[in-house]
Amino acid sequence: MNQVPARVWVLRVALVGLVLLGLQTTITTELRPFGVVVQLMLAFAASAGAASGPGEGALAGFVLGIMYDLATGTPIGATALALAVGGYAAGWGRQYRIEPKWWILAGFTSFGAVVGETMVPLVRVLIGETGLFGDRLLIVLPVVGVSTALLSIVLIPVARWALVVRPSEIRVQSADA
Amino acid sequence: MATYSPSRRRVIFALALTSVLLLTLDLRGNQVFDAARSGFGLIFRPVNRASEVATAPVVRLWRAYREFDDLEEENRLLRAQIDSQRSAEISAQNAIIENQDLLALEGLESLAAYGSVTGRLVGQSPSNFDQQVEIDRGALHGIRVGMAAINEAGLVGKVTSVSPQSSIIMLVTDPSYAVPVKVLAPQEPSDTVTATTVAVASETSANDPLQATTSEVETTSTTTTTTTMPVVVRETGVLRGQGNDRLPRVFFVASGTGFGRIEVGDTVFTAGGSTSLAPPNIPIGRVANIITRAGTAGQELEIEPTADLQRLQFVRVMLYQPLSEVAG
Repeated sequence: MNQVPARVWVLRVALVGLVLLGLQTTITTELRPFGVVVQLMLAFAASAGAASGPGEGALAGFVLGIMYDLATGTPIGATALALAVGGYAAGWGRQYRIEPKWWILAGFTSFGAVVGETMVPLVRVLIGETGLFGDRLLIVLPVVGVSTALLSIVLIPVARWALVVRPSEIRVQSADA
Repeated sequence: MATYSPSRRRVIFALALTSVLLLTLDLRGNQVFDAARSGFGLIFRPVNRASEVATAPVVRLWRAYREFDDLEEENRLLRAQIDSQRSAEISAQNAIIENQDLLALEGLESLAAYGSVTGRLVGQSPSNFDQQVEIDRGALHGIRVGMAAINEAGLVGKVTSVSPQSSIIMLVTDPSYAVPVKVLAPQEPSDTVTATTVAVASETSANDPLQATTSEVETTSTTTTTTTMPVVVRETGVLRGQGNDRLPRVFFVASGTGFGRIEVGDTVFTAGGSTSLAPPNIPIGRVANIITRAGTAGQELEIEPTADLQRLQFVRVMLYQPLSEVAG
């Protein structure tokens, strides 16, 4: 794993997260393909995982999730856990590929996003909320998966910048793994 | 200089534990977290505003593309509806004034007795699982957590989170939403018709040769109509949201005499009471479906809300707190 000053990546992830949170609470709530809200924050967490690895994806997801919880009034930690798991899941497949092609990365990102979005109702059910699992998930998960795969084309380079991941480091890191 | 080189499994395990700890603390109520939310809200507000401004052209373009035909059709229908409702409105206003006078005279609660704050919608829930909206009025305007939010059509939801300048409102369709309600089923006044027939036989006069051998019966009928006063069946239960694409349902606490007499189209209002966060008599909607469940489970009602929750622009927060909350 790359050795990066914590304050650098936290600051960068928070900065990108703030911009994405602004978009998440405005444009994505209006533009809903098939009535589903595209999850930008989750897409970025998954992209971080796919770009850098499961640990970084989980940490980035946790930071983004805390920001999301603070902004939207959801219980603090609920979305953080879901996004952390989503970031981790996206990075899980990444560690077995050396310099994967963009479409493979998009696949990892999509997988992580689907796992993360499934975690959202799961965590909420664990804290006592009801009625979150239903037929609607059958529409939500594919739309979130596909939209995240498309967004990853833009978000993976942004995630590499935020997590200070250089191409050479990807190569070495992948070989180590 | 601090560095990060997380061991993968330990990282996710530590983050999961941290999340659970934060969740536990937050759900138990924590002032530090409330302050953090308010602080983050202050930082995030300008970013959110900038995003709104930056994305407004795209959003307008999208709306224009998606909604133009629907809006045109709806506009035509609404104009026709307005014409037909003008006379009804005058009668209704008169009835409302009379009702408020009567309630005031009897010292009963009325919606007009409570103050309210009107807020503009500034955001919707970015989640696929929550039905929430955000308004631009908050604690500085007297809004507190739990207060009911309405619009001109009826109940919209309740306040679940308040920061100084904004509030988050959970809509009635959210699975976590619940409120005590009453279902009013007005029964048609029945007319009782009583028909009385009196037969009078008239004897013929012996002096009249033409009618000497005949007798005639004259019949007199009297019809009496009795109109009974309308009967209103009142059933109380709890309305719970069922999610974005499903109608909220009313679950009854116990079977009452009114079961079987509630019909599609009956009206649903908030029930109020000392523990209900919503004041009584806020219209919620009409019964759209009656679901009869097997065994002793009883009935459930699907309610079509009168407020159009997809197109909210302004929301009025009732500055009402039940006695139990005020005392607490």
